[in-house]
Amino acid sequence: MTSRLLSLMLAAALSVPVLAFGQADGAKLRVEGAWARRAAMMKGDSGSGSGNGAVYALLVNAGNAPDALVGAASDAAATAEIHESYRDMGMMMMRQVKRIDVPEGNKVEMKPGGYHIMLLNLKRDLKAGETISVTLEFEKAGKIPVTAAVK
Amino acid sequence: MFRAIPALLLLAAFASAAIGAESSGLKSGVFNPPRPAPEFSLRGSDGVDFKLSRYRGKVVALGFGYTFCPDVCPTTLAELAQARKKLGADAKDFQVIYITVDPERDSAERLKTYLSAFDDSFVGATGTAEQLANVRKAYGIAIAKKTVEGHPSAYLVHHSSFVYFIDREGRLRAMLPFGGRTVDDIAHDIRALLKK
Repeated sequence: MTSRLLSLMLAAALSVPVLAFGQADGAKLRVEGAWARRAAMMKGDSGSGSGNGAVYALLVNAGNAPDALVGAASDAAATAEIHESYRDMGMMMMRQVKRIDVPEGNKVEMKPGGYHIMLLNLKRDLKAGETISVTLEFEKAGKIPVTAAVK
Repeated sequence: MFRAIPALLLLAAFASAAIGAESSGLKSGVFNPPRPAPEFSLRGSDGVDFKLSRYRGKVVALGFGYTFCPDVCPTTLAELAQARKKLGADAKDFQVIYITVDPERDSAERLKTYLSAFDDSFVGATGTAEQLANVRKAYGIAIAKKTVEGHPSAYLVHHSSFVYFIDREGRLRAMLPFGGRTVDDIAHDIRALLKK
């Protein structure tokens, strides 16, 4: 065996743990084009909330490990949850979802009529032309702060 | 000559389909023949007793939803608002009416505030559970209340989300399913109905 071949084999063997380590951190999440739908805060009657809002964005996993959106928060509302709108039996429905998987090398779009971040109990109006701060939490990538343009 | 027949038949089929689309002139699903839009009396968000016939002479877009709806309803209302803006001077002859499917939470005042985010001209309507059930029946709107575990006051209301277009004579002319058409298509249909 030549020393060159031996060097190559050694390099290959040593690179494996580096790759394995890299894999765990391989999710590289990017959030693009975040926007929120305009909404008016409503003074609640007893039991009624101040209104809800929706935030949309493109989730891009440019890495080589799967990741998932698992939570959200915003100073514009009391709580934020991940929801999905869908059609069934001739009606538009909505359900909370625990996670949105974003596989490696893939993009998932949160858009009207589909996935969105639901802002519950708005703390202020969402006025067109303004921006709000939203933090998206990913399983691997952690918390990513995002500025959403209100439209 | 004989080999050309299938092609000619295909061409004829395309032509007649195109003529069919041309004669209705609308991009939404059409009511053919048009039939009177069912009348109803409700409580309007503008503080006045609401009757559909009050808007005779205008083209009306009639939708159903609720103020706790964060995604579907705002999307529909935003699209209608954008379409209205495209009408220019004709906007004054176009009226959006939104009927709540959630009278327990949606007061007239609440509806007014909710709609004001989209367009000040939009009018909402609420009423008793029975009045609203009758209107939904007349317009074929289904709803289903969905409770949220641990939050009794935070329920969702699943609902049919098509928008009806009613012409100046008070006739149902077209029906637009959620997400079915672009804002330009909606504006196109409103302009077409304003002309007739």
